[in-house]
Amino acid sequence: MIPEEIIKRIWPKIRTKHLFPELPIPKVSESRENVALEMKNKQITINPAFSDKIAHKMDVEEVIEALLDHGISHYTYCPWDFHTHLRLFAEAKRIVKDKERAKRAAGLFMDVVADTYCVKGKKTPLPELYKHIDKGKVDEVITSLYQRIWGVDLCAKEDREVVRRLARIPYLDKKQWNKSIQKFSRVIKVLLEVEEEDRQEGSQANPMGEHGLDGYTLEEIDQGLRNFANQNVGLKEFKETFEDFEDELKEVGYGMEGGMGRGEGNPLDADLIYYMKLAENHSIPIKKLPMEKRGFLNPHSHCPWEIGRPFQDVDVWTSFGKIMPGITQTWNKIEGSTFGEKESVPDCIIIIDSSGSMTNPRKNLSYAVLGAACATDAYLRNDAKVAVYNFSDAPMGGKAILNFTSERDKIYGILCKYFGGGTALYLNELDPLLEASREPDIFIITDMKITNLGKVIGYLNNIDNRITAVYIGENTYSLRFREAMERKKNISFYNVTKREDIPKIVLGKIKEYFRGNL
Amino acid sequence: MKNPFDDFREHRTREREIPLDSIIQSRDRVMSKIIKGYEKLLEEEVKELVWLVQYNTVIKAYTLAEKAVKEFDYKAEDIEEFCYELESTDKIPYLITGPAGIYISALCNYAQEEEVLLKLNDLKTQINLIGYRLPVGKKVAVEGNMGDFTGIGMEGGELVVEGNAKNYTGAGMKSGRIRVANNIGLHTGEWMMGGEIFVGGRVRGLGKIVDGKVYEDEKLIYPRNYRQSNVYY
Repeated sequence: MIPEEIIKRIWPKIRTKHLFPELPIPKVSESRENVALEMKNKQITINPAFSDKIAHKMDVEEVIEALLDHGISHYTYCPWDFHTHLRLFAEAKRIVKDKERAKRAAGLFMDVVADTYCVKGKKTPLPELYKHIDKGKVDEVITSLYQRIWGVDLCAKEDREVVRRLARIPYLDKKQWNKSIQKFSRVIKVLLEVEEEDRQEGSQANPMGEHGLDGYTLEEIDQGLRNFANQNVGLKEFKETFEDFEDELKEVGYGMEGGMGRGEGNPLDADLIYYMKLAENHSIPIKKLPMEKRGFLNPHSHCPWEIGRPFQDVDVWTSFGKIMPGITQTWNKIEGSTFGEKESVPDCIIIIDSSGSMTNPRKNLSYAVLGAACATDAYLRNDAKVAVYNFSDAPMGGKAILNFTSERDKIYGILCKYFGGGTALYLNELDPLLEASREPDIFIITDMKITNLGKVIGYLNNIDNRITAVYIGENTYSLRFREAMERKKNISFYNVTKREDIPKIVLGKIKEYFRGNL
Repeated sequence: MKNPFDDFREHRTREREIPLDSIIQSRDRVMSKIIKGYEKLLEEEVKELVWLVQYNTVIKAYTLAEKAVKEFDYKAEDIEEFCYELESTDKIPYLITGPAGIYISALCNYAQEEEVLLKLNDLKTQINLIGYRLPVGKKVAVEGNMGDFTGIGMEGGELVVEGNAKNYTGAGMKSGRIRVANNIGLHTGEWMMGGEIFVGGRVRGLGKIVDGKVYEDEKLIYPRNYRQSNVYY
């Protein structure tokens, strides 16, 4: 029977066995001879050459069932999602210190977990497949591990010392996976080094297929990166892990959206992605522009007309057509409240300090950049545009200006720029930005150690736009700024000393919503 | 109306016992006993969180450790795992490298295996006193850097360190062999009564050696070319 027909016949049974995973029916396609199966965008593809190769040792139907059990267990149990994949890779890399070996270690670990999960919980011909499959040195060790932990004779030569150590790892305890993969990598580290030396160029390391990023959708990759950034990994570790996967991410088209045409494309910037993903995890609320009072006076209630009061307010219908004190009624008018426009979020100018007193965002986690990134994210989510004024010693050229845009990459690019010089603002340069949009909000984030702080206070005192001032750490300058601006009702202050302070910022929150009272 | 769960009616979960389950259970049992023994040692020994390496304190701590480890069976892999558990705060309240080293030494000395391999390259802490009183017929091989007082009071065993060792290595050792692949610190072989110390790299300083031999990069530096104690080379 040809493999397609076998798949059609056994697929319902396999789906039931794995509790109906949301996967399309697997396909059959000739590919590299020594790869048994591939998974791209949830589509499992089985290589018939592989099943043909061991057909004389094992029933083809069983081979296909075993391969599908293997592939589906990866999907339903380990790694399950891209975040787990990244996490396992990062832990393995800590031990083996090499990108390729860490990928291989993570791949092997995921295989052991997924296969053991399947063998323990489901009726599967996987052990039979491992008995007959062609194996390299490391695969032989893994098979002998299976032999030990599954209690099945797989005719594998056992390296007692290694297998004894590997067999002590709690593969099915998800909570311990981080520790477990470290132990696993520690044991197989030497084997991987030997394998790498022995491996011929172009040969496939894993006969069951490698664990690339093809299996994940772009949304899953995005979510995985977001979770990974939020998992208390530092900028350095995120950057390192991201760069290890950079080529594969580009291959699957991550960060290349809208890139029609030709050309190499921009390199993915790990720093930007880190702040982007962190910002997506910290959502900051924005107060939309509130209902405003308009100048129109509307009739509200009646009162008796008195001599000397204007005639135009007389209500002729309730006065019976007479002008007589006591009978004639006149309208009391009050100012009407109405929506001037539909509630919306204005654009925002982000003023960010990147002077020497601030943290370099490309070396360590910068609260200023993270705060600004969160603000950017909040405004862009609300269909507003963002302009950036990144300053250090602006009069000396230490500045970067970006006009209103909704292009996230460009905004983050400017936010992550670090000048590291003195701190002075060239205030006139803000005017064109203020004029370029209708009453944009201003979000300023700095440690307030600004040389011309007096001028800045004066400038901000003279504008009525909503201002969110975030100062990093407490110092005399921030105190001075706060004292000078406290009476202004269009400004709100926030102090950030730790990462947890950032979500507490409410953008555009002003003490008095009605601009007329300012 | 069709029951939406009908499709699952015939599904039977087939959770079967595999040898991995029993391996993990027994490993967890042993580990909790080892940890309990260590906690007991800390309770007895380090009441004020300060522990000084003194002749009497070391002997007393070792006696307690010996008593604890004799009460259960364990394997060489359990010792290595315990070394890593020492760094995880969720299981062990605090790591004090002195008593920890004595406890690990007792575990090695009373292990069923004649040879104990400890792959400790990824351990962030350098543990002191590894190899204390290592008896004849026992070999402990450690991958990674060790702290102070490595192999002190050795009693005929073989201690191999694939890394560096700090000060007072082999102090008071009676017999046996210490091999350190890389460098070694000050006071090497202080009050050493016998045995040999082989250092692959540099010896930073020798202690007051009574008897025994010290080799640096395969050259005998004690007693043939006697060097002043604690001379910085």
